[in-house]
Amino acid sequence: MTNYLEKVRETSAMSRRNFIKASAAATAALTATGLTGCANQVKTADTGEAGPNVGSDGRNLVDGTWVSAACWHNCGGRCVNKVLVQDGVVVRQKTDDTHEDSYDHPQMRGCGRGRSQRQQVFSADRLKYPMKRKHWEPLTGGDKSLRGIDEWERISWDEALTYVADEIKHVMDAYGPRAIYCPGGDDIFRTLALNGGYTYSHSTSSVGNWAWLHNYGYGFIGLEGNDRYDLFNSDYVVMFGSNPAWSSAGNPSWFYKHLKDAGVKFIAIDPFFNDSYDLLDAEWIPVYPGSDAALLLGVAHTMLAEDGEKGLIDWDFLHTYASGFDAESMPEGADPKENFMDYVLGTYDGVPKTAEWATEHCGAAPEAIRKLAEVMGKANNVNLFSAFAPGRIINAEYFPAIFATVGLMGGHIGKPGNSVTTSSNSWAANSRTDMFVAGQTGLEPLPNPIDDMINDVDAWDAILEGKYLHTGMTYLFQPGEVRDIDIHIIYHGGLNGGSVGTEVCSLQTKPNLNKGIEVHRKVDFVVTQAYTYNTDARYSDIVLPVTTEWEREGRLFNYQKEAMIAYGKVCEPLFEAKSDQQVARELAEKLGLNPDDAFPISEKQQYFNQLATAALLDETGTPQPVATITQEDIDAWGVEGTPQEGLIPLQQWIDQGVFSVPRSKDDAYAACIGYAAFIEDPVANPRPTASGKFEIYSPTVRDMFASTTRENGVASATPVWQPILDGYEGSFANWETKEKGPYPYIVYNPHYLRRSHSTFDNVGWLRNAWAHPVYISAQDAREKGIADGDTVILWNDNGKTLRPACVTERLMPGVVGLPHGGWVDIDEETGIDRGGADNILCGSHTSVSGVIGWNSCLIDFAKYDGEPLMADIEKPQTVIF
Amino acid sequence: MRQGFYYNEENCTGCRACQIACCDKNDLSADVTFRQVSSFETGAFPQARGFHYSLTCNHCESPACVEVCPNEAMYIDEEDGTVQHDDSKCIGCQYCANACPYGVPRYIEEISLTHKCDGCITLRRNGEQPACVAICPMRALEFGDIDELRAAHPDGVDKISVLPDPSQTTPSIVITPRKAALENGYRTVVL
Repeated sequence: MTNYLEKVRETSAMSRRNFIKASAAATAALTATGLTGCANQVKTADTGEAGPNVGSDGRNLVDGTWVSAACWHNCGGRCVNKVLVQDGVVVRQKTDDTHEDSYDHPQMRGCGRGRSQRQQVFSADRLKYPMKRKHWEPLTGGDKSLRGIDEWERISWDEALTYVADEIKHVMDAYGPRAIYCPGGDDIFRTLALNGGYTYSHSTSSVGNWAWLHNYGYGFIGLEGNDRYDLFNSDYVVMFGSNPAWSSAGNPSWFYKHLKDAGVKFIAIDPFFNDSYDLLDAEWIPVYPGSDAALLLGVAHTMLAEDGEKGLIDWDFLHTYASGFDAESMPEGADPKENFMDYVLGTYDGVPKTAEWATEHCGAAPEAIRKLAEVMGKANNVNLFSAFAPGRIINAEYFPAIFATVGLMGGHIGKPGNSVTTSSNSWAANSRTDMFVAGQTGLEPLPNPIDDMINDVDAWDAILEGKYLHTGMTYLFQPGEVRDIDIHIIYHGGLNGGSVGTEVCSLQTKPNLNKGIEVHRKVDFVVTQAYTYNTDARYSDIVLPVTTEWEREGRLFNYQKEAMIAYGKVCEPLFEAKSDQQVARELAEKLGLNPDDAFPISEKQQYFNQLATAALLDETGTPQPVATITQEDIDAWGVEGTPQEGLIPLQQWIDQGVFSVPRSKDDAYAACIGYAAFIEDPVANPRPTASGKFEIYSPTVRDMFASTTRENGVASATPVWQPILDGYEGSFANWETKEKGPYPYIVYNPHYLRRSHSTFDNVGWLRNAWAHPVYISAQDAREKGIADGDTVILWNDNGKTLRPACVTERLMPGVVGLPHGGWVDIDEETGIDRGGADNILCGSHTSVSGVIGWNSCLIDFAKYDGEPLMADIEKPQTVIF
Repeated sequence: MRQGFYYNEENCTGCRACQIACCDKNDLSADVTFRQVSSFETGAFPQARGFHYSLTCNHCESPACVEVCPNEAMYIDEEDGTVQHDDSKCIGCQYCANACPYGVPRYIEEISLTHKCDGCITLRRNGEQPACVAICPMRALEFGDIDELRAAHPDGVDKISVLPDPSQTTPSIVITPRKAALENGYRTVVL
């Protein structure tokens, strides 16, 4: 026997019966019943019967029909997923095998989440029937304190929709449309808009402070980088807060590995030496979450200080393409003293932002900062990449602008081997210069007549306090205005459509979950459309079961640079589930509206339209329709359309599940360099700013932030450092003496391969593969007497949550990593969350921009002396009917 | 002819897609794995390094499971060059599970049988790759004639720190190891 064997047994699950007994029996029941015509016939999972056959024995794994199946989640990628269907039963799945795999023409392979999709779709814990909370009463809500813990009663669709319509009509009459808060659900938006409107939500959500970068003249969220073939021309890839192995499933990590094998060097700036950095053998510069801007100011200062000796700064480049770097390049009318260089040098504020200054704020050694400054010099070809995570920080408004400015100092924009961009999601390592034109459904926008929209960071406070700060949409700020708001209904509207197709799950994924639960127990009525018993559904009065994407007509994803992924219907709706759009139509009818006004064309026509209007931008940039469509196709689909010549027959595209484009290093796409046209001719191709240049000094941004009227932080035209009050600086009671405060640890929330945000958290195979621990540095664990696997309690003023410890030497001491998206599981007696939900700890703070700061949150933690956690895989599934 | 796996541990990010593709193809309940990824660390902050190991049947030349099986349920399929399992002969005694130095065979309580990776023999006969190979986003897995795999990866090894002495069973495995996987003093981390 070896240590290894013991370890395998520790981490495998010899005693993990509860969760599994349920899911195995459920799979068996669903499999036996088949996928069609199975409504009302499926037994629930509590039979405790034996599981299905395993392995190949007794199973036909070969015959049947392969159907392209959706993998629709907001994970950062969209990959090819197929299911083998035998007599209406899904037997197994596979991923892209439409062609031989190569770097030039890679298969769009999916991840473990996609491969476990059938365990989600056909799980015993699917929501099967409309249901209402046992102690709910129409129009009053009944005993609202029981939301989240009440029992459920099955009702008919007619009853359910009548109840929902009555609640809406009552609130419309008594309070008007502003009293209905609908934070998500593209289809229900249309019905509610037609009905007079609703209060909407907005936020910086995933992009955080990267939302502002276009105001400085860069692309949308900084998205103009170079093609994957061009990255081989670089000497260095410098990565901030990036973990493509976990956040960009699919090909990006493989693309990065090719660069490493070709000799490109990697530098990682991050509190955690994650598996992507390990893969790339990156040089690690550990920094505290939120301190990236401080580090880069130290780099900028060093570049200025050592420029004379080493020639690091490309002054001609800076002066040609940017304004506001130094006094001589300041825009007319601006105070020349506010230039960036003098800010860095401390000319007027008396604080030179030296490497040593940066060290005090970010924790990186001065030597590492000076070395990075040399790397960033103009002699090297550098790709400066960041994921969104370092932007999801309160008080980090100016990090993206400082990031871009350091790139400009070395002239790393618009040239082969050089780029400065966000590199994440499916475009990590392969910047998203579009190769396709997205297909359109043909549904015209149906605008909300109400202009109330609440920033997610304020939402729960707004509903509790009856007023909120109206600032317009995140990207289109209007001057801040405090408005009264009186929310009586919360409508969680199921999946968002479009190219995202994602489960929203607002209560689980907005900050300050405990306050969110308080809100959900305050309002008159909560209704949720969902296909699993997610947190929104749990805290509702009425739950409407919706189909997964596998039970819908189909959709087209324009999310991968080099491929268009299409999928169709795998099976008929399970149990009594209806599509979100069908629910929206039927509710419209109950409200006395004409559903055709909300949805003038069928879901099938919408899918067809997407397929028919998608186009490949060929190497000359000319759009070429992807699908070849014949009159026979149109007749067979029973839709309206016009035959067209394309690149692949319609049905073949759907059967393959993907249309992908073989690449080569010599193709026209490979020559795509971000901002190249501007760099080539800045007069003919100006940036969309007042100066026509990249604006390092931006009055636009200053005025935008000032207009929000939010406090905490400064509205500044010069990109400046701000102490991170919910981060490192805020962890001290006294910064001068370095005396720690009550919450001395910074928690950040890495995206986690068990889930896509909160979706998939109920899937057994994934729970078995990923335990959802909390990452604690070995040094901190020693100081706290915490060993691997101990149940740990993490707390701050917002709440308390439990997780098993994963003690690691790859995490910076002082930082705690709590994976994002775990389903909340409040123990009503103690008030402690046993599910490890990140938003129990993340609060409702924000700063001048209104950013949500999921990676800036202060806590303390200790070994938990109450009842230890059982492994998540051992938890019983929640099967209601 | 013996067949087995090549595992490019250098490329492996521990994403566990292989593990779940295996669960899917074999229709396993959630607590059973025929391929399981484990994660490890070496060294101390800030020089610590991680590595993963994706464990499944090595289709050994001298398989301990076959040797101890009292009923010939575990057997070498000479034609395929893999170690296979015959359900109809298995009596669920778990000798194989206890004998395998890699801990590969899994006893499944619901059916009172032991099971393990069959190298996706059915899929291969259908012209497909094993499920774990076909999904790996890092292209870190290959399956085939072990002599050919050894020739194609001449620097490959069959022993890393977390694995037992290969002389026990002569596993049909070729590994391109992470440096950290050759060091002493690894720790298991449950990511």
